[in-house]
Amino acid sequence: MTEDVSAGLDTPAADPASQTAERMAELWADPPGLRGKLMAVQNDAIGKRLLFVGFFFLILGGSIDSLVMRIQLAVPENDFISPELYNELFTNHGSVTMFLVILPITEGFAILLLPFLLGSREMPFPRLGAYSFFTYLMGGLFYYSSTLFQLVPDAGWFAYTPLSLTQYSPDLALDFWVLGLSVAEVAAIAAGIEIIISILKFRAPGMTLARLPLFAWAMLVTAFMIVFAFTTLVVGSFLLEMSRSYDMKFFDPDFGGSSLLWQHLFWIFGHPEVYIQFLPAAGVVSMIIPVFARRKIAGYPWLVAAFVAIGFMSFALWAHHMFAVGLPPVVANFFSAASIAIGIPAGVQIFAWLATMWVGRPQWKTPMLFVTGFLVLFVIGGVTGIMVASAPFDLQATDSYFVVAHLHYVLIGGVAFPIFAAAYYWLPKFSGKLLDERLGKINFWMMFVGINVTFFPMHIAGLMGMPRRVYTYDAETGWGIYNLISTIGAFVLFGGILVFGVNLIYSRYRGLPAGANPWGADTLEWSVPSPPADQGFSIPPIVQSRHPLWDQDDLHIGDPHTVRFLHGLSEWPLTWRAAIVTGTNDGQPEEVIRVSGPSIWPFVAACGTVLFFIAEMLHTLWFLAASATVIVVAVVLWNRPEPVPTTLAEEEEFERAHDLPVRTDGGRALAMWGMGLSLLVAAIVFSTLLLSYLYLRIENADWPPPGVEVPGLLLAGVALVAVVASVGPMLRARRSIDTGSRSGLLSGLAAAGVLTIVGGGLLLYDLTQLDITAQDHAYGSIFYVLAGFLLAIALVGLVVLGVVLGAAWQGVFSPRRNAAVTNALRFWGAMAAMWSIGLVTLYVLPRL
Amino acid sequence: MKRLGTTRTAAPAQLDPSGPAAGEIATLWWWMLAGATVVTILVVTLLVIPILRRRGQAPSDGDDHEDVAPALTRRWIVGLGIVMPAVVLIGVLVFSVATMRTVSRAAPAGSVVIDVVAYQYWWGAEYPGEGVTVANELHIPAGQPVELRMTSADVIHSFWVPDLQGKIDMLPDGITTLVIEADEPGMYLGACAEFCGVQHAMMNFLVVAQPPEEFAQWLVEQRAPAAPPTDEESRRGAAVFEDAGCAACHTVEGVSDAEGATTPGPDLTHVGSRRTLAADTISNTPEEMARWLRDPDAVKPGTTMPVPELTDAELADLVAYLESLR
Repeated sequence: MTEDVSAGLDTPAADPASQTAERMAELWADPPGLRGKLMAVQNDAIGKRLLFVGFFFLILGGSIDSLVMRIQLAVPENDFISPELYNELFTNHGSVTMFLVILPITEGFAILLLPFLLGSREMPFPRLGAYSFFTYLMGGLFYYSSTLFQLVPDAGWFAYTPLSLTQYSPDLALDFWVLGLSVAEVAAIAAGIEIIISILKFRAPGMTLARLPLFAWAMLVTAFMIVFAFTTLVVGSFLLEMSRSYDMKFFDPDFGGSSLLWQHLFWIFGHPEVYIQFLPAAGVVSMIIPVFARRKIAGYPWLVAAFVAIGFMSFALWAHHMFAVGLPPVVANFFSAASIAIGIPAGVQIFAWLATMWVGRPQWKTPMLFVTGFLVLFVIGGVTGIMVASAPFDLQATDSYFVVAHLHYVLIGGVAFPIFAAAYYWLPKFSGKLLDERLGKINFWMMFVGINVTFFPMHIAGLMGMPRRVYTYDAETGWGIYNLISTIGAFVLFGGILVFGVNLIYSRYRGLPAGANPWGADTLEWSVPSPPADQGFSIPPIVQSRHPLWDQDDLHIGDPHTVRFLHGLSEWPLTWRAAIVTGTNDGQPEEVIRVSGPSIWPFVAACGTVLFFIAEMLHTLWFLAASATVIVVAVVLWNRPEPVPTTLAEEEEFERAHDLPVRTDGGRALAMWGMGLSLLVAAIVFSTLLLSYLYLRIENADWPPPGVEVPGLLLAGVALVAVVASVGPMLRARRSIDTGSRSGLLSGLAAAGVLTIVGGGLLLYDLTQLDITAQDHAYGSIFYVLAGFLLAIALVGLVVLGVVLGAAWQGVFSPRRNAAVTNALRFWGAMAAMWSIGLVTLYVLPRL
Repeated sequence: MKRLGTTRTAAPAQLDPSGPAAGEIATLWWWMLAGATVVTILVVTLLVIPILRRRGQAPSDGDDHEDVAPALTRRWIVGLGIVMPAVVLIGVLVFSVATMRTVSRAAPAGSVVIDVVAYQYWWGAEYPGEGVTVANELHIPAGQPVELRMTSADVIHSFWVPDLQGKIDMLPDGITTLVIEADEPGMYLGACAEFCGVQHAMMNFLVVAQPPEEFAQWLVEQRAPAAPPTDEESRRGAAVFEDAGCAACHTVEGVSDAEGATTPGPDLTHVGSRRTLAADTISNTPEEMARWLRDPDAVKPGTTMPVPELTDAELADLVAYLESLR
């Protein structure tokens, strides 16, 4: 048996096997034509598209903008461009690179690579990946369309209030910024959820957490950080948009608001964002160094610990961007210490990499060159990072060119260099052609020289007192020569990036064939042909080592039970896309599930999402309602259970043969993780609103403001009781499935729905009766937003319940298939908790 | 463009500090630079050695794909990756906290206090209890700590004189304070360091540190109401000032009061005594002032100052009047 299965790594030889492979390729291919392009869900397609989007925006906003700015600053008192245009350019440059370049590129690499790296056939939610791509693209285009209307955002990538409020930025430019980028943020969160579940549950049998490739570890931490940080920013952006559109007062100090609340919300996102960009790069470096040094990585557990530590620590140091706002020295020192401490996990990483190179025999291929350049630049950016983490020095350095120098060393040297390394290393896997080495070396040296010539002099200009974001400066300041050097360097750097583009095109036609494993690498993606088949692994591999291709002679031997199971899975099912869910920790197969195939609905949902944000910008209520309906309908349709082409008997036979459950409804683990992470997002939204409430409460001596009554307890109290009580019938409904009581299920679901409608209705009625407005004071603004969030959660719950009730009516659920009801129960539990905390905060807290 | 003439040094230089706070921070910087240099050289050396050592050797040998020895891993990661940075970083932290303490020290009682208000794109300042209001040029006594109480009338700005002290933001939410001190008399360039709108670049100012007795004399001069015009030209100019609507936004003590204006402009009571105009954008000469008044937006695009519709003769009279306000 074992002999049969281990016939070969690349191509099955025997005739029935090749027929099987053909059928499998057919099954996993995206449909042809334009419609097929819109329906595509294959991770290769989605990943490549995200990379393309990122590179496109890199040229547009990352490069062209900066060259124009550098020309303007090349000589003092220059009038090459107007101050208005300059401000638009630096706003665009920062916004595009932070939201539309590095994130789609790293998430694109993750979606492209993870299934191959982990030895699985697909991402867990292929349609979510497709949705993420379309939202990224359309969000970016929506943001960029501001140019067409001459409404280009100009308040910086940080959009500090009150400059970004309508009083100082009255036209729609800032709305393009808030809403366009929010669409991209939604895309980032969607891809983040997809990546987490992929890494935790979609691995080859035997790939324990301790055998996870380091890039996957880095992406796991990154994806969690994306979920936390970007959700916070979406909430902050929502509050900003409410202030701009509906005159709410969160950030207006004249009406109980605080201009610093925005800065806190922005930097709670903004600092983790730096590490969200850096960690995938660290993962890439940890993959490439061992391959080219021909040694296993030194200190694998240390590196994992460093990634996780950075993930946690990055959320505790946002205020180091705010040393100059007049923080009390104790607070400043705390954030100083926290920021400086991140030098330790950074040190662990650097010396783990250096140790591996020290004992190895580095081969000077282009990926390794970029990694070496990265190490040098990252150390320079790192030591200046420690300097600006020192609060007193930062009082001089912040908002000066010293910081501009520091951050570009970190983001270009520390992030872009590893991304280029990753491109040279991994793209041949998917194109089948190696990138040209000679052009690669030119690419590297131009970029390495370019970055140093551009950014090193900026340290000096900053120390000489040159502030950031100035479109011109006086000759007598003496900054001219440093700026001229920087400008020259920027063109060299850009030239280097262009060489990469040339290399891509050249190699497409003249590139040497890559073969399955051109670098002699150790991880699973190099065991499949380049380019790989859509299904990746027809017979999933068995992993017995952290470096399977180095340590294992054969990827298809293991314990007979698993071998038989994997072999079985390559023959059945061939009519739906089967994937293996493995144990989070031990990597043992837990269930066989069906992953979804091509669908037009993710594209429709993405269109709905971008239209929703456009409708918000135009303040058109019917348009808002229509696009919201499109989103709901599209999401419901893309999750609609599809007919199963195999029979229950076949499923049961497979289960008996391999002692593993077959779940064509998506599986239990995925349902749990999917719902769990969705609820996590909801909880982060809720916590952010709650913390904003408490921040404003502390900022105001009188709460509520004089002349405003704390709302009465009665109606809200009854509403809360009704919503909390609705968990009971929900629980009964779930239990009724196991006892087989259809009436119990239906009546439980219905009762939960009725109670929630009663609770929501009462709260809504109460809100309409209150003598509080959202426009007069920050108290009213945050009151209505928090209460509105509770209503929105209830509404989402009712939509979910409606779908579940419909399915229950049709008798879809059984002890075997009940993920949707279990998820509804989880949702109800979370909703009851949020309602309790939220209503106590709004109605009881001000009385204490 | 402007010529500063008497400044100690035209270019700001935080590493050649002129005040105690900037001096402390510069000392901290030099130590951090030394540490940073050592760390960078160490890492680059450890990176370059294997590159040179292995050059020319066969790309592969018998020990391919082996583990890095655990002892070496431990030495490098724990020794170089944790202990060494920890020692360096604790040093940085202790030094930082100590520096923060002196940099944020409050001014002793009885120090000169200045209330500074930032506007898009200029600076107003009052010396409380002295009846002195100025714009874009702060005078302080040299060798004494001066307390600045700062706020913003509109968006967030940041007050930065690199030669003297780190920066502090000026918020519409309330007061932030900063203590500055210049060791020696001299003139120091200041700038807005927080992006505040279209003309953030030309929102600069001067700090003029004077010997204490000279500073006291300056206060006396500034306290006096505006000098009445003495010659015919400036008398006509005074009339232009009122007719052209300048008084709606600009206070000239004894002539006009712009208190409560929606877009206040700088107090012009002693505008003739200032070294520069329009937040340190141009020198204060009759020619430059005329150029400014002819079309403010051409000199400083985005300024809130409207174009005064004046004939050439009126313009000349107005300049003569304003320059006479010394």
